[in-house]
Amino acid sequence: MESLNLHELTAAYALDALDADEARAYEAHLAGCERCRAELASLGEAAGSLAFAVESPAPPARLRAAILDQAAAERENVVPLPVSRSRLFRATACAAAVAACAVAGLAIWVASLHSRLHNRQALTWTVVVHGGRGTLTVSGLSAAPSGKTYEAWVIPSGEAAEPAGLFNGGKSTVVQLTRPIPEGALVAATVERAGGVSAPTTTPLFTARV
Amino acid sequence: MSRPLAHLSDEALVALAARSDSSALAELYDRYGRVAYGLALRILRDEALAEDAVQDGFLAVWRTAARFMPERGKASGWILTLVHRRAVDLVRREERRRGESLERVPDPGGASVEEDAWLRFERGRVQDALRQLPDQQREAIELAYYGGFSQSELAERLGQPLGTIKSRMFSGLARLRELLGEPGLEMSWNP
Repeated sequence: MESLNLHELTAAYALDALDADEARAYEAHLAGCERCRAELASLGEAAGSLAFAVESPAPPARLRAAILDQAAAERENVVPLPVSRSRLFRATACAAAVAACAVAGLAIWVASLHSRLHNRQALTWTVVVHGGRGTLTVSGLSAAPSGKTYEAWVIPSGEAAEPAGLFNGGKSTVVQLTRPIPEGALVAATVERAGGVSAPTTTPLFTARV
Repeated sequence: MSRPLAHLSDEALVALAARSDSSALAELYDRYGRVAYGLALRILRDEALAEDAVQDGFLAVWRTAARFMPERGKASGWILTLVHRRAVDLVRREERRRGESLERVPDPGGASVEEDAWLRFERGRVQDALRQLPDQQREAIELAYYGGFSQSELAERLGQPLGTIKSRMFSGLARLRELLGEPGLEMSWNP
């Protein structure tokens, strides 16, 4: 296709009215044509406003949840950067949790994580931090065995783990973390002897950076 | 529902999404999910397919946020383009749907009064601008954007040379840009 013709495709491209081959050719052309880029920015804005002319019924609530769950699943092994006072992170226990631990320099903790997780179903956890205080919500974690407890930890960046509360597991557990959570800290949980300990002695069941 | 990022611009939210902040993606969805869904439903006329298009579009936002270039246009336009593209891809695969009526829409509901007022205002503004286009330009633009027809399909369907279709789309969009850029229209809005 000649370059002259490609210039004429800007409006059709802005309306998504090119077939796949034409769109690819136009995009290749766009990379080297300042005029078309400028025109596309301006016509594209007009085309985008067409979205607002349509009656908009409310989408079902499950759509929002599905998008955010899928997005979280795709990035769970990426350490998010703290950006505001109120932050929400969610993760699912799987091999990616090991990667997150390794990123955080906690490889020493995770040596036997796989064996602890392999027979567990859909362990999920959420840490909500607001004003430096955190709430941990865990589901899918079986009740702690006799003589044992789960212990939550706050690990400020580059520092030792600080005990942040005990909990017993069960179907769904909400734990108010007893330590303030500085930005960039990790929240983790381990199995410990009943009554808790002052430093973790087992590999973490999960970690989340907040 | 608390919206801690409600004070940020769309472009700032995209930058945060690029840094894996899922609450930024949630805020973008809260701002544009409804418009995106309405658009996808208009194109696809099927609620399940519309949900697929919106989900794919917002996940594309999540995956490619780092490549968003503010100098090429507004973030809202970029997001709606990603959803629109998915919807058009889907409707081209689901050929049968495109003959159906454009008019049926489900009962709107669920947005706050404030959102409703804003959406109604935008809708009225763009519909007014569309009405001012010459019929043939409006037809080409509506069939392309809401019908998902390619320019070649339009040329065939309307019995016109491809060059004529291109020219109608270009002139129509250029005129629409002018009409939507007129500040007088915005001044007339009293919520």
